[in-house]
Amino acid sequence: MERENELSLFNDAFIADLLREAGNKVEYWDIRATISEGTTLDFTDQRSTEISSYEMTNCGIRAFINGGWGFSVLKDLNRDSIRSSFLKSIKLAKLTRSLLKNEFKINERDPLEKIFKINSKLPLSDINIEEKIKLVKSHEKIAANSSKLVSNTRTIYMDGVSDYIFINSFGSKIKQNLSYLRLLNMVYSRKAGITQRSINSVGGLGGFEILSTEKAEKISEKTAQESIKLLDAKSPIGGQFTIIADPKLAGTLIHEALGHACEADLVLSKESILKEKIGKEIALPDINIVDDPSMGQGKTFGLPYELFGSYFIDDEGIPSQKTTIIENGVLKNYLHNLETSSRMNLPPNGHGRASSSSAKPQVRMGFTYIEPKDWNIEELIQDTKNGILCKDFLYGYTNPTTGNFQFKCKFSYKIENGEIKELMRDVALSGMILEVLKKVSAIGDQKSFSYSDGICGKGGQSVRVCDGGPYIRVDDITVGGLN
Amino acid sequence: MNEDIDIFELAKFAIKIAEKNYSNFKCAEVFIGKSEYLNIEVEENSVKYSEIGRNHGISIRIYRSNGSIGFAFTNILKRNVVEKIVKNAIKMMHVGTPDPDFKNLPENSKPYSMVEGLYDKSIKNLSIEDAIEHVKDLIKTCSEDEQAISQSGDFTANSNLSYIFNSNGIEVSGEETYFNISSNMIVKDTINGEVSNGYESQMRRKLADIDGTRTAEEALKNAKRNLHRKKIKTKKMQVVLSPKGTINLILNPIASAINAESHQYKRSFLVGKRGKKIGSDLINIDDDALISGRIGSNIFDGEGFPCRNKKIIEHGQFLQSGLLHNSYTAGKEGVESTGNASRRSFSSIPSIGISNLILHPGTIQKEELIQNVKEGILLNSTADSPNIATGDFSGLISQGNLIQNGEIKHALNETMFGINLLDLFENITSISKEYKIYGPYSAPYVKIDNVQIIGAQS
Repeated sequence: MERENELSLFNDAFIADLLREAGNKVEYWDIRATISEGTTLDFTDQRSTEISSYEMTNCGIRAFINGGWGFSVLKDLNRDSIRSSFLKSIKLAKLTRSLLKNEFKINERDPLEKIFKINSKLPLSDINIEEKIKLVKSHEKIAANSSKLVSNTRTIYMDGVSDYIFINSFGSKIKQNLSYLRLLNMVYSRKAGITQRSINSVGGLGGFEILSTEKAEKISEKTAQESIKLLDAKSPIGGQFTIIADPKLAGTLIHEALGHACEADLVLSKESILKEKIGKEIALPDINIVDDPSMGQGKTFGLPYELFGSYFIDDEGIPSQKTTIIENGVLKNYLHNLETSSRMNLPPNGHGRASSSSAKPQVRMGFTYIEPKDWNIEELIQDTKNGILCKDFLYGYTNPTTGNFQFKCKFSYKIENGEIKELMRDVALSGMILEVLKKVSAIGDQKSFSYSDGICGKGGQSVRVCDGGPYIRVDDITVGGLN
Repeated sequence: MNEDIDIFELAKFAIKIAEKNYSNFKCAEVFIGKSEYLNIEVEENSVKYSEIGRNHGISIRIYRSNGSIGFAFTNILKRNVVEKIVKNAIKMMHVGTPDPDFKNLPENSKPYSMVEGLYDKSIKNLSIEDAIEHVKDLIKTCSEDEQAISQSGDFTANSNLSYIFNSNGIEVSGEETYFNISSNMIVKDTINGEVSNGYESQMRRKLADIDGTRTAEEALKNAKRNLHRKKIKTKKMQVVLSPKGTINLILNPIASAINAESHQYKRSFLVGKRGKKIGSDLINIDDDALISGRIGSNIFDGEGFPCRNKKIIEHGQFLQSGLLHNSYTAGKEGVESTGNASRRSFSSIPSIGISNLILHPGTIQKEELIQNVKEGILLNSTADSPNIATGDFSGLISQGNLIQNGEIKHALNETMFGINLLDLFENITSISKEYKIYGPYSAPYVKIDNVQIIGAQS
């Protein structure tokens, strides 16, 4: 990016100046600033409804005193406004500190000085807008022409590049040069007064190469076929069923049914049902679950780019790393940011993430998955007398306090006597966090291991995440239905 | 923001370069947004975090005579960046596809209705110390209760300024405030140790209307009602929706289903239902932008077009004129915009959104409505939403209680329910006199017959 110079205002002299300003008044502070630009293309029925570009700056300054945080957000990147916001944050932290009842410290960390960069094979800056439009148009055309039943198509293309800087009172100074791309494709089909829709997306960190994989090239064809197939799907019958979840759904299940309740901020605030469960067996001994947002995993899936949920460092300057959540059925670790790890006297594990430099870091997941075991999928289905094969998800959520979670599947097939039968739509599944991991009766092999990417919301912030696993079978799940 | 920048001058400058730079120019619009906010957060029932921030930005939307659109935005309010952004928008327009359905941006021809109470001056003098006083109300309620063990919550004060200019002569600006307080209360049963939570929030345009104590008390009540959770058996039952349930299952889905865009693209289960009965006679719904002081009220919409009151459903009939439009969908259908262009910020192209969506209250008292239920569910909330294309709903009851012989009993665990919304509308048998206002919604209690409940008890 040509405007990198604006972040160069954070030179050593200015940082020394801030350190002096903070003096002994604060125990910890950090500053994040981002300069970003990007493109959005939104097409409906092969026409552009939005073709846009942006240039944005974001900056957030945090100060901490003995358990109280102050945060100040600004948009003008110059030394005067940064200095005055810095002082405001300190004032806010002091005020907060004067009222709180839970005092704690942030454990000192070694400073980190590093520069990270996403290496795109086809950098976004080399791709002109016409080329991006051509690609979106071709997906729109494929979807629209795939059948007379297709009534409406929509394709959204989003990309962005950013320069990011992180500095803190430990003396860390981290620079990043990031690039992402995401394509969403939606198709509505209509037959005999019934409308059905399907949505698929592909996204990652990198450049235009993200759209070059076979999966990306076939996305619109797949979405169209799915929405047409759903026209003949039946509404499910509610009740208790054994289900086989595909990797995408298994990943969502892990994310919702376990991941959120492992976020240490919810544990400390007594909002998580997994409070005081470290070291306890909360799943069957076969189950191993991790969160690993570190870079370099794209190639293990044969992809020429980095996974959508990966990152170099979190938004508190802690490198991303693999965290074991469940090992052989036993809860090993919570996910931490700087604050929660300090309070529990553990090293942080790199899960303090923010949706932008204008938002405060929260404890968030990255790439959460269940590790594969040994079941072959065909054998797994044959072994299932009666049940439902659930593929892909529409959305999911959880209440970490009561432990009740719910998610909705995109496709569900009845299984009768080990054979896949008719398709059902809008199957909703529900269960309890502490029960479901003890009802997993089979875990698929490495061959079936896969993942999906998406956006996860918490406290008004959205971050990029991935989750996945092999096929898994879960007994005795509550299935919602209209009949 | 840099106060030396004259916003009007900047906007006119942007429009001028847009007009000058392209020969097939049809129209252009500049939107400038400026906001300031203050936020205090409570965690573990203690003040934990305070934040102040500012945001501002400019966007330009430009159309060629063949209807192709270009859009660009920035939050860097400098003349040279704005100039670049306008040029980018023109470039975007140049590469867009023709759209014969695009008619025009709004013209400056309609009078604006006065709407009072959108801006509360007291925000100007609101200090962080004052804001903390509101949060103290939350904390006190939790500390004083024996079963309450923790609370998360927050207080936010926001002020927004928006300026909209277009090349058809629209030139409007407005200032608005909103304040929000919320509480998520955690309670623990003193005998069996069961933990549950309850949530409540309040959003108002006037600071004096924010009541932290009541918000926390309501959250506490919800949390306690959510204790003693049990699984129940699968069965068809009556369901009483609390105001939040009414928003989840009636108002929110209707808000999406009456959006003209979802009709034009045939994405709504109400496609083809205009002029027809879609449910019980008891259903009367308006979308009213002109109520003094309400969150969804406004003088003009996201394109600067005058807002008004619209009848949507009358005695169960979805009116012919019951769709919500912005200028694009209105032009496509050959009608006038309803003033429902909505934009979250300067960085988004106007979509379509409700003003204040009001389900008219009925005549029966809520106690009586519950007393009449022999066996049923009081549904306080669900985090699920129906499939708007089909109207099918199946989801989890996040918070609900069993009703037996007119009395509210234990809470529910792992209980789901399913119904098509048209059946739900048909099966409404009573609506309460009492109603609650949450954000842009007015929601009474609603009783529905014959709902499929799926329990996890075998």
